[in-house]
Amino acid sequence: MKQGLLIAVGGLALLLLTAALARRRLLSLRYALGWVGVSMFVVAAAILTPLVTPLAEQFSMTGTAVFLAAASAVLVLVCIQLSITVSGLHAQLRDVIESNALLEARLVAVEDSARRDDGAP
Amino acid sequence: MSGERILVVIPAYREEATVGGVVTAVRAAGFDCVVVDDGSPDRTTDVARAAGAVVLRLAVNLGVGAALRCGFRYADSHGYDGVVQCDADGQHPPEAIVRLIEAAREHDAHLVIGSRFTNDSGRFDLPRGRRLVMRTLSFLVARAGHVRVRDTSSGFRYIGRPLLGEFARTYPAQYLGDTVEALVAAGRAGYRVVEVPADLLPRAGGEASARPLRAMLLTARVAITVIFGIGVRLAPAAATVPALTTTRDRRNSDR
Repeated sequence: MKQGLLIAVGGLALLLLTAALARRRLLSLRYALGWVGVSMFVVAAAILTPLVTPLAEQFSMTGTAVFLAAASAVLVLVCIQLSITVSGLHAQLRDVIESNALLEARLVAVEDSARRDDGAP
Repeated sequence: MSGERILVVIPAYREEATVGGVVTAVRAAGFDCVVVDDGSPDRTTDVARAAGAVVLRLAVNLGVGAALRCGFRYADSHGYDGVVQCDADGQHPPEAIVRLIEAAREHDAHLVIGSRFTNDSGRFDLPRGRRLVMRTLSFLVARAGHVRVRDTSSGFRYIGRPLLGEFARTYPAQYLGDTVEALVAAGRAGYRVVEVPADLLPRAGGEASARPLRAMLLTARVAITVIFGIGVRLAPAAATVPALTTTRDRRNSDR
């Protein structure tokens, strides 16, 4: 019971932290919703931990261990999703920086051409 | 040069001491020249521009692969027939550029590697550990890319169409990815790759950027990339037009 209470408090703390970060615009809505989902999962798991205990004992585990394993799996999925996002952003950033360099070269060429047309040295 | 338009692409990072001389030598040899400044904090851009090169200045240091792709994009969009990539430290003599292009024409190759290991000059000696790494990479490239190349990490290469267009679209950005992984991708897609001897001169100035531990980690990464086939994928060579339009090719296309 005490374990469940502690986990529920942890879930609520995560929920409050997510709300605070979202209000300060440090988290986009997309990721805020994701972390709200995780915190709700933690709170729900805290409530449901006693219910899964009989099932967990069949695998020589405690209800808390089952919950922690599930939480770890969720966090792994979140990390994979974030890695995908960062990889995509990295590729997009590379494209933008390259395009910027190509545009700058074109601008320099146009400026040089205009300067020559004006008879400047 | 039989009317082919060749662009020399020089990726540069903190090469203000040498890039001006390299650009001057390349232009004196009659080639157009683009320097891709990979976010250098020094005066690399100014020096290269003063020497007469077109400069593509990357706002952030992205790595040599990204710098090269930027140069390939420039060549592709400006209608060049081929690109020769060479270093900004003066190690690749301009006269060797002509030999690379001639080799491409002779072998009808899409990719020509200027190799440090196929000449008899004995000028380029490697420590035993690095030689072992090079042999391992060569073995991996042969197995994964079906390409027999001794100097897999050479930064002195000719790239002709249609491979140039493919590299402009997608090119590995990381250290060794731009050499080893690109070789494997080209080989797998069926592009013709040849290796010819190329003398390497001592650095004209500046400092080599290689750090042993980092190089080892990156070698391991590129090995994993090659072994598991998770690198870039190019359009098959058969689906594109020939590398160099020779008289024979033109005759065939007219039929």
